[in-house]
Amino acid sequence: MKVIGVVPAFNEEKRITDVLRAYLAYVDEIVVVDDGSNDKTAEAAKIEKVNVLRHAVNRGQGAALRTGTTAALELGAEVIVHLDADGQHNPKNIPELIKPLAEGQADVVMGSRFMNLEPSGMPLTRYWLLKAARVFNTMALGIPKTVTDPQCGLRAMTAKAARTLDFKQDGFAHASELLRLITRSGLRWREIPVSISYSQESLGKKVRPDALRIVWHLFIGVFTK
Amino acid sequence: MLIQILLVLGFVLALWITWKRYRQNVITLIEALGWSILWVGGGVISLLPKLTEYLAAIFGVGRGVDLILYAAVAIQFFLIFKLFVSHEKTERLLTKLVQQQSLSELNSKDKESSS
Repeated sequence: MKVIGVVPAFNEEKRITDVLRAYLAYVDEIVVVDDGSNDKTAEAAKIEKVNVLRHAVNRGQGAALRTGTTAALELGAEVIVHLDADGQHNPKNIPELIKPLAEGQADVVMGSRFMNLEPSGMPLTRYWLLKAARVFNTMALGIPKTVTDPQCGLRAMTAKAARTLDFKQDGFAHASELLRLITRSGLRWREIPVSISYSQESLGKKVRPDALRIVWHLFIGVFTK
Repeated sequence: MLIQILLVLGFVLALWITWKRYRQNVITLIEALGWSILWVGGGVISLLPKLTEYLAAIFGVGRGVDLILYAAVAIQFFLIFKLFVSHEKTERLLTKLVQQQSLSELNSKDKESSS
């Protein structure tokens, strides 16, 4: 079974090489999408078994994930794993994400930070914003409240699921849009606990999820075909 | 009164430009009709300002001028919203182009490695 990791990256020159090496222990190949970085992210990502694509201008995490997922399908991926470039995701969670897919028990497996594994270093404001986002997802988007993490970027899916999930959001709103599509598509999905660690570097990034912007993009997206 | 003449001339000009843009295929027939209703309505109200008081009474608004102000705010909100949607469409189109260009790199790499 060919497993390809998709890593959207924006200005991650300092960290990306180590992060990719850690992921490569658990996936067959990686597609890195340098989302119009101003630094040398693309060059730093060029290591063995890593395909580097580059967006000419910054289009957002969702857009980069879409590009990477399409590329992974073209490269013959049977399972696609979405991963972050900033080292917050624990590579050891990848086999746990893939297992239900390999056993034919699920089409999509999503990571959750709220299933008994406490995320380390998560600021209290983010914790409560994510709790509020979960309520918003249920009330406004109709995402089942059994989905415990509204914004986790760590997920794995079969190639069939990746072809089915036609998400449009370019920015961070893609996470909620994907959840809506996954839970309404008839695909078999499940959440598993994953450990996420926040560092000062990752928390200090200039591009961070902004709750109001996400809500606005989801709203305006309803009217955009 | 001079203000009535100026307003009516302005609305006639707007109506002429609207249908010129329709003939140039810049806007659709529905959009041209929508704008025309707005301009003709503005022209009629300019010529018959008493009409706004009658309409204000129907809507339960105190004065005719208030009704015009409320309607203007509502129309402006609608137009701004349309601009946002149009902007989002352009953003998505730009993303599509960026993605196509990016994915073409992958295809060219494939060709290089197979040759």
